[in-house]
Amino acid sequence: MPPRITPLVLRPRLASTALRAGPGPFRHIASKNNPDKLPEAPKGQPGPNTQQQEHVSEEAAKMAKIQGQEGPDMNQGTPVQDIMKEEKKQRDQAPEVLQQQMNSKQQSSNTKPSTNPGGSRSFSTSIRRRLELQPSTSPSDFNPAMLSSLGGANLSAGSSLDTPTATSNQLSHKFPLPAMDSIVNKAERYDPVVVQLTNFMMRDGKKSVAQRNMSVILNTLRTSPAPTYSATRALLPGAPPASYLPLHPIAYLTLAVDSVAPLMRIRSQRGAAGGGVALQIPVPLGLRQRRRTAFMWILDAVNKRQNRGSGRDMFPTRVANEIIAVVEGRSGVWERRMAVHRLATTSRANLNFRQGGGGRR
Amino acid sequence: MLLAQAITQMAPPQCLRCLRNSLQLVEHRSLIQPPTRAAFSTTSLLSAKAAQPRKTAGTSNKSKTLRLSKNIRQTAGKPPARGERKAVRKRIVLSNTNALEVDGLQDLTADKLARHSEGTVALQTFTGQVLGFSDETVDALRALESFKPTQAWSLFRRPASLVRKETAALANDMADTETDTSKVARKMVFGEKGSGKSVLLLQAHAMAFVKDWIVVHFPEGQDLTIAHSAYEPLRTPNGRIYVQPQYTAKLLLSIANANQALLSSLQLSRDHQLPFSVQSNMSLFRFAELGGRDPTIAWPIWQALWAELLTPATKAVQRPPVLVTMDGADQVMRVSAYLDPEAKPVHAHDLALVRDFANLLSGRTQLPNGGMVLAATCASNRAASPTLDYCLSRTYIKQEKASNAWHLLPLRGPSWDPYQLKDARVESAVMNVSALKLQGLSKDEARGVLEYYAKSGVLMNAVTDGFVSEKWSLAGHGVIGELEKGTVRMRF
Repeated sequence: MPPRITPLVLRPRLASTALRAGPGPFRHIASKNNPDKLPEAPKGQPGPNTQQQEHVSEEAAKMAKIQGQEGPDMNQGTPVQDIMKEEKKQRDQAPEVLQQQMNSKQQSSNTKPSTNPGGSRSFSTSIRRRLELQPSTSPSDFNPAMLSSLGGANLSAGSSLDTPTATSNQLSHKFPLPAMDSIVNKAERYDPVVVQLTNFMMRDGKKSVAQRNMSVILNTLRTSPAPTYSATRALLPGAPPASYLPLHPIAYLTLAVDSVAPLMRIRSQRGAAGGGVALQIPVPLGLRQRRRTAFMWILDAVNKRQNRGSGRDMFPTRVANEIIAVVEGRSGVWERRMAVHRLATTSRANLNFRQGGGGRR
Repeated sequence: MLLAQAITQMAPPQCLRCLRNSLQLVEHRSLIQPPTRAAFSTTSLLSAKAAQPRKTAGTSNKSKTLRLSKNIRQTAGKPPARGERKAVRKRIVLSNTNALEVDGLQDLTADKLARHSEGTVALQTFTGQVLGFSDETVDALRALESFKPTQAWSLFRRPASLVRKETAALANDMADTETDTSKVARKMVFGEKGSGKSVLLLQAHAMAFVKDWIVVHFPEGQDLTIAHSAYEPLRTPNGRIYVQPQYTAKLLLSIANANQALLSSLQLSRDHQLPFSVQSNMSLFRFAELGGRDPTIAWPIWQALWAELLTPATKAVQRPPVLVTMDGADQVMRVSAYLDPEAKPVHAHDLALVRDFANLLSGRTQLPNGGMVLAATCASNRAASPTLDYCLSRTYIKQEKASNAWHLLPLRGPSWDPYQLKDARVESAVMNVSALKLQGLSKDEARGVLEYYAKSGVLMNAVTDGFVSEKWSLAGHGVIGELEKGTVRMRF
């Protein structure tokens, strides 16, 4: 093993611009008056380079202390490799010696299991292999990993609030830290499908109304009887059993939207087919686009439904009924999906069309 | 036999009472179909015939817009029948077959309301737990209209409610009045929106039903005063009051249905001055039902029924305690939407039913057999009643100062704006009523209700101390409506 190179990294960050804009003396790089004389701070006021931010290692040590972890050793300095581990750009631009050293380390860690002469896995993969051989198409095979928005995710998020950390015997916080990502980052606070559909339903920027509607949709799904899967309309493979759905309304909604979502849209290229006829070109859609299209179709179908009651809950009730109809295979939205897919199949020859590339190739 | 038949046939087709009936039915009929002609008239039709539309060549009756598919409004199926849409909106669903059955959910029974030897009610030990209602109780509560469509009963397997500190205190008051009939608790329940006022009334109904009390409930004070029900003046020695025959009939029917078993075992005990004859030993259930079926006689029956209920019990005449409640009582503490013959607004306390309730609430009408009078305000549809607000906060502060919590309160009570007129009738009605302020749950109670949600399968979180604290804080220190919203209803 080569000797470990541990240069001391001292990387003071630039003083913040707010300090520069302050009342203290400031010498511009191009200023000509008294070029030899450096500026001095008036008495009692900080100079231009006196209040600098802390050095990374110090900052990391402080953060670690707050979080009750063991931070970098301030007496020794941080090895350059540790910093490069975090930053890919610097890793690529590192000197060759360091790169070689890092590569050799990675290889040794990769080859570690193979050095074990026993050759037995620590876990069994026989069941997994069997499952791969028999692809599950019947909706009764429930694969919770398929729907990330199932209750399982919630459960883990909720329980992580309170379960003491694994290092409970070590000196740590009196009360465990909350799972900050679910609280701090508002973009990840709610389920992505629910957020997207709530925003899609929103009219005139009234988000609270849309949220209320969404809650009525979910509660209607919760209280209506479990759906009966249709034999002709295949839902997503790995859909949970129908009895599971009412108590997991978000999974119910996700299953309906994702099952009926089209894989393609048809782009009509004007004049490309010759004779003024538009060329139909199938274009694949991303996940959010697929969901958006599906929900647009569902809302179209909802607008054709008739209210049986009155009051402000009628629109979300109709949406919920349409979602149940989708899962049960009764909805007309399935026809729209079939039509798009059929057209995409017939026009698959147009996939190679390139605009401005001399026509069809 | 033949003669008897002949006599009945000879009798005029409409006796005087029936004629009055037919006039009273106009209100009902107008709800069912628009009136095409007068209910009773001998005059021939004099109005001219409606002009027939002339048909001229080249014009058609059809619409002049272009008939495109997007112009034609598509309707699927038959439109909803008359009244169906409102029925859907007001429908109360009390069961969700998808929700899980909660293991070990006990019912509210009479033995839980009995007193221990130590003097406390057994329900005290159930504080912070959820208790279900038996099927008979649920039927009674339904008849009383205690359940409201905005409450989340439809998410759970069967109706159940949390026993909170205030519930146990009410049970204690009920036990008190059973031992000493002069101790009648008269309370005004108030608190912020979603703090559980209506459900506390519902719990009081359930407890009274289980204890074999008579329960009288005005489901919504607003229904009495917004002038949606017919009214007629009645002269009394104390001035003119207004009777609402249809509403009285509805109320009598709900009293009869909710207390059917108990009222069937009680009979009329004395002669009443009624405009019609009744059997002297008629059961009170039949008597109340009679009034409920016929709005024309509802008011005298209401008076006679109350005279019966307020008769002191003797060995021969059995009379149970009475629970009288009103939800949305702030609506009856002000001027109503009815007009008198001079087109001046009628004060709500001039309405006969409201006057009776206000007398019970203020204690002017005593309950000789014990009982309880509860009124709850409504926070989401609050009527402006400054006198009520003033009296309530004054009473509340006085009560709290009498207890040990005085140092937590402002030193001075509310002050009345000297340029505003105080409503003397409202003040006299609520002056001596104790104020029961509902605030947030304690953390233990919150934990109990969250565990119930989790066991029902509608809350998919592990209920831990941290989770309870988080939700309790977000719900404004445990306001139960917000707690429910944050964990069950609006949880994505």
